[in-house]
Order: sequence, then structure tokens, then C-alpha cells
Amino acid sequence: MLEVKDLHASINGKEILKGINLSIKKGEVHAIMGPNGSGKSTLSSVLVGHPSFEVTKGSVTFDGQDLLELSPEDRSHAGLFLSFQYPVEIPGVSMVNFMRAAVNEKRKYEGKSALTASEFLKLMREKRAVVELDNKLANRSVNEGFSGGEKKRNEIFQMAMLEPKLSILDETDSGLDIDALRIVAEGVNKLKTPETSCIVITHYQRLLDYIKPDVVHVLYKGRIVKTAGPELALEIEKRGFDWIKKELGE
Amino acid sequence: MTKRGHCKGVDSKLSWTQVETGSAITWKYPSCILTGDNSVAEFYSVAVTNNYQQADTGTKMIHIGKNTRSTIVSKGISAGKSQNSYRGLVRVSEKADNARNYSQCDSLLLGSECGAHTFPYMDIHNETAIVEHEATTSKISEDQLFYCNQRGISTEDAVGLIVNGYAKEVINKLPMEFAVEAQKLLAISLEGSVG
Repeated sequence: MLEVKDLHASINGKEILKGINLSIKKGEVHAIMGPNGSGKSTLSSVLVGHPSFEVTKGSVTFDGQDLLELSPEDRSHAGLFLSFQYPVEIPGVSMVNFMRAAVNEKRKYEGKSALTASEFLKLMREKRAVVELDNKLANRSVNEGFSGGEKKRNEIFQMAMLEPKLSILDETDSGLDIDALRIVAEGVNKLKTPETSCIVITHYQRLLDYIKPDVVHVLYKGRIVKTAGPELALEIEKRGFDWIKKELGE
Repeated sequence: MTKRGHCKGVDSKLSWTQVETGSAITWKYPSCILTGDNSVAEFYSVAVTNNYQQADTGTKMIHIGKNTRSTIVSKGISAGKSQNSYRGLVRVSEKADNARNYSQCDSLLLGSECGAHTFPYMDIHNETAIVEHEATTSKISEDQLFYCNQRGISTEDAVGLIVNGYAKEVINKLPMEFAVEAQKLLAISLEGSVG
């Protein structure tokens, strides 16, 4: 589904990603771990096409398409979704209007007609239940005045609405208490189908207790330095990253 | 252009609503003279400027009768290299006991080369008057636009959503058919202003 080859990317002339290789198949869950500043968030930003980052080398194909050729909105329409680490607030724009624009743009891209108001509200109600999101939140402005936990839940709600093929969860567990973590993780699991894949970026094993990864990668200094099964996450939880750095001869 | 409304009788009411997207240079101050006791006046305004436009617009609320009240809500949106000013006068004359005014001026900036200015003048000659003024300035950030992009909404549509949300308070005051027109007008006026 996603094929990343020798990806290099920089911001303001500083190279952050130094040759990423990553291959994700349909239905797989990949976890990406790594110390602070290793390039995890940069990788997710580059994949969704954030304009601050410049891809200097390498290729990314998504479902057979050259992803780097597409605009950020077309990447979204093609089925790529990012759950932001820090979701932004958009005052004055209600969640209902925002989601309606997003869903209908996607339908337009797929050559379908726009949903009617009642169809749309029915869909909202259905999907809200996935993450136990309050009706009041849906009527407020996008993320405005939401608590940290509500923002993350709102991200997963949007994921439910847009039904992406590949979701990237960028530290979706940060700032969540144990109950919110469970709700968010269960939401992600409910949305999981054999047709969809997931990249989970996290510092902690905690989230991976709920969302079981098939593969765990360690990203360090802009490169993937270790790839193994779920047992790698447990080992990192116990021993930290130092032993991996030692293996690399540092 | 300047229009004036006169609240002559007791308990009269006057409301101005303007959506200003027009000319290269605009000076426009639809005003209200509140002579009748207990009369009420409102001024709701959205002014959009783009490219090299200059708009200097606002209102005058002249309180003469007793227990007169006025409300001013002004929303300025500046894009391109334009300058957008709110200029308003609230005058409370000696005999206007218990006059009340509330003014709110919000400015929204798109890009880094435009300007927004607020000039609230107050001329108060009666001690019982209560006059309030609030002003805010905000900017549509790259991060907000990118967030919309990631959800599949193009930058132009995202600006439309944000601007319409921002101007909602005034647009809601318009008659239905006109409100729909006004929303489209806002989107057209700002076409090509971002990215």
C-alpha cells in the first residue's frame, strides 16, 4: 500500500530524514518509535505533504500513485489521514460545517454526489459513537476550547468520518489519561479493517497494548535503524534506546 | 458615501447592516442620530479588502434622547496588500441620560502584507453613560490551512469556511436570500488571496 524508498527531507536547509525505507502492506499496523528529535513527526508531515518540508531525494508510492506528486488535499482524497500531534483550533468554523466540507470534497473526488443534510447528520451520529464524542462538541468550533483528550478523540472521529486507507497516528497517546487512551485506541481498533493500514508513532508501549502492531521500527537520526516484531516495543519499554545506540557503535 | 438615519420618535429602532467589498477606496459611515427617548440603533458591518484596496468605514452613534442604546459590531477582513480601518464615533450629549453603547471591532488578517486599524472615537458629555469598546485582531495561520488541506479541503475553500465563520455574527443579521449572496461575495472577493 505504501512504499517509501530512500526518502530524504529537510526543513530550512537542515536535513532531518536521511534515507527512510518503509514498506507497508494492506491490513498491517506499523509502530514507529524513537527518541525525541529522531524525525518521527517529520516523517508523518512529509507523507501528508506539509509545505514546510522539502523532499530532496527518494520516492513514495501510495496505492500505485506517486504520492509526492499530489497536493495535500488530493493525498487526503486518495485515502491518507494524519491524526495530528497538536490539532489546531479553527474559531468560528463549526465541526459540522468543517466535516461536511471535508466529506463532500472527498465524495466529489470519488465522483459521488454530495450528501444531503439529513444523510450527513445521520453519518455524524453514527461515527460519533465510535469515540463516544459528545454531541455538544460536534456543534462547537473545530477544536476550540477542547481539552487535550477531546482534541485527540476528535481526530479519531474525523478518521471515522473519512474512512482512510492509511492512517498515521502521530503521538495520539500523548496527553491522554488512561480512560481517554482506551477510548481512542478502541476507536482505532473498531475502524480497522483488513483493507486498511495504520502507522502508529509513539514513545510508549502503553498505546501498543491496545493497538497491536505487526511490525515495530526504531527511527534514529533520520534513519530506520531497527525493525522487528512487537517484542521490540516491549524491550524498548524496559531498556530505553541506549542499547540500540550502542549497537550502532555510538 | 454617508447615510444618516434619524430615530426621531420615542421607542424608535434603526438597524444598519453593510457588507462592504466594493471599490478601490471606500469611506463610508452610515450613522444614527438617536433623538427619541428609549430609541435603539444597531450597526453591523463586514468589510473585506483585497489587493491594494483601502477601506475606511464605520458609523456614528449620536445619543441625544434619554435611555438610548446602540450596538456596533464591525468585522474587518484584510488580504493582499490592502488596508482596512474601522473608524467610529460614539457621542453622548449632555441631555442623553442613561445612554448605553457597546462596540465590538474584530479584524482578520490574511497574509503578512495587509493592515487592519481601529479608530474608536468617544465623545461623552453625560456622566450616566455606559460606553464599552472591545477589539480583537487575528490571523488565519498556515497551520489552520494545512489542517484543512489534510482533511481534503482546498486552501481556497478553507479560507472561505474560516472567513464565513468569522463573519457569521453579521451575516446572520441579513435576510436569508441576501445572506447566501453575501457568503458567495466574500468567497469571490478573497479568491486568489492565499497561496
